[in-house]
Amino acid sequence: MRRRFTLSVLTGTAVAGSLLVAVSPASAHGYISSPPSRQANCASGAVSGCGDIIYEPQSVEAPKGSTQCNGGGSRFAVLNDTSKAWPAATVGTSVTFNWVITARHATSTWEYFIGGTRLASFNDNGAQPGATKSHTVSLAGFSGRQTVLARWNIADTINAFYSCVDVNIGGTGGNPTPTPTPTVSPTTSPKPTPTPTATSGTTTWAAGTAYQVGARVTYNGVAYQCRQAHTALVGWEPPYTAALWSAV
Amino acid sequence: MRPGPVARRTLALVAVLALLMTGACGGGEQAEAHNDTDVMFLQMGLAQIAEGDRIAQAVERRATDPEVRAVATELRGAWRTEAPMMRGWLQVWGKPMTAAPDQKLHAGHGDLHSLREEDFTGLGDLAGAEFDRAATALLLANLHNAMETIRMQAADGAYPQAVELAERMTESRQNQIQRLLRV
Repeated sequence: MRRRFTLSVLTGTAVAGSLLVAVSPASAHGYISSPPSRQANCASGAVSGCGDIIYEPQSVEAPKGSTQCNGGGSRFAVLNDTSKAWPAATVGTSVTFNWVITARHATSTWEYFIGGTRLASFNDNGAQPGATKSHTVSLAGFSGRQTVLARWNIADTINAFYSCVDVNIGGTGGNPTPTPTPTVSPTTSPKPTPTPTATSGTTTWAAGTAYQVGARVTYNGVAYQCRQAHTALVGWEPPYTAALWSAV
Repeated sequence: MRPGPVARRTLALVAVLALLMTGACGGGEQAEAHNDTDVMFLQMGLAQIAEGDRIAQAVERRATDPEVRAVATELRGAWRTEAPMMRGWLQVWGKPMTAAPDQKLHAGHGDLHSLREEDFTGLGDLAGAEFDRAATALLLANLHNAMETIRMQAADGAYPQAVELAERMTESRQNQIQRLLRV
C-alpha cells in the first residue's frame, strides 16, 4: 500500500512539469463578441443545444484556409448548422467587429468574407495583437441576411481562429425565424455536458475525451498510446505532450 | 482558514510526503490526497483572480452600463471568498502561491494569463461606451482563461473540496460570462 502510494507520488511529480507545458497553449485564442458570432450566441445562451462550445467560444481553431464556420474538422460542427436559428444582428453597410482575445498569438492577417468574396484583410505582419482588437469592415454591395466569416490567421502556426457572424445588412432581410428568446434565464446556468470517454480500439484523438492509460489514438496519421490518464484539451495534441502520449 | 485538527493532520502528511520524495523511509496514511492538477488549478486560479480583480475594480469605478458594474461587483465578492480558501490549501500543502514563471512555456503564444501594464493604462484613456467595450472584452478574456483552468480541475483534480469549488465556479463564472455577452 505504502509502496504504491510512493510510486504514484513520484509519477505525479515527474509529469508535473510536462503538464504545465501542456496546459499553456490550451488557454489560447479569441472570437468575435460583437456583433455576436455564432459561438458568442452559444456562450451567451441566446442559442441552445450548442455543446461544449459554450465554455470555450475562443477555441474554434483549425488549419488555415477553411470557409466553414468551425474551420472544418469534426469539433464544434454545430457552428456550421444552417438549420439552427442563428440570430442576425441588424447592421449598416459598415460594421465594427470586436474580438475577445485570450492569447496574443503573433498574427499574419485578419480576413473577412461573405460567401466567396473577401471583404477585407488586415495585415499585422507577425505582430502580437493588443489585449482587445476591433476592425471596421465595409459590407457595401451586400444586403439582407448574410453570414460573415472571419479568420484570424496565426503567423507561427498552421492554424487560424474562425468566427461566423450572422448579420442583417440594412435591416431589410429579416430573420428566417423570429429571433429566439434566450432559453437560459439569467439566474441559471447550464449543467456541464458529460465528458465522453474513449472506447476501446484506436480512435482519432479528440479534445474533450477522457483517456485512460494504454488508450490508443491516431493524430495526423501517427499512432500514439496514452501514458497518463487525462481529459484531452485543445493544445494537448499528442505531438506536443510527451508526458501524456508516446508514439507507437 | 483557522488551523484545526484536519489541517494539522494534513501538515503531518505533507511532511511524510516530503520524506518519501527525498528517498527517505517514512510511514503514514493517505488522507485526502491532492494531485498536480489541484496545485496547478490553485496557482493559476489565484493569478487569474488577481488580474481579474484589477479589471473588475476599474469596471466598478468607471463603467457606464449598470449591468457590467453589477457583474464586476459580484465577481469581486466571489473572489474574496474563493481566494483565501485557495491560498489556504496551497499553504497546508507547502506549495508556493505562484508557479515558477517560465517564458519558454509561452513561446509563440503571447503573454498568457498576463495583461501588460499598458493594457491598464490604455483603459485609463477610454471613457463611456468605448471604456465599457474594452473593459468588458478584457474581463471576458480573463473569465474564459479562468474557465479553462476551472474545468481542467473539475475533470482531473483529486482534492474533493477543490473539485467542488471548481464545480461551483463553473456555474457562477458561466452565468457571469453570459450576462457580459448580453450587454
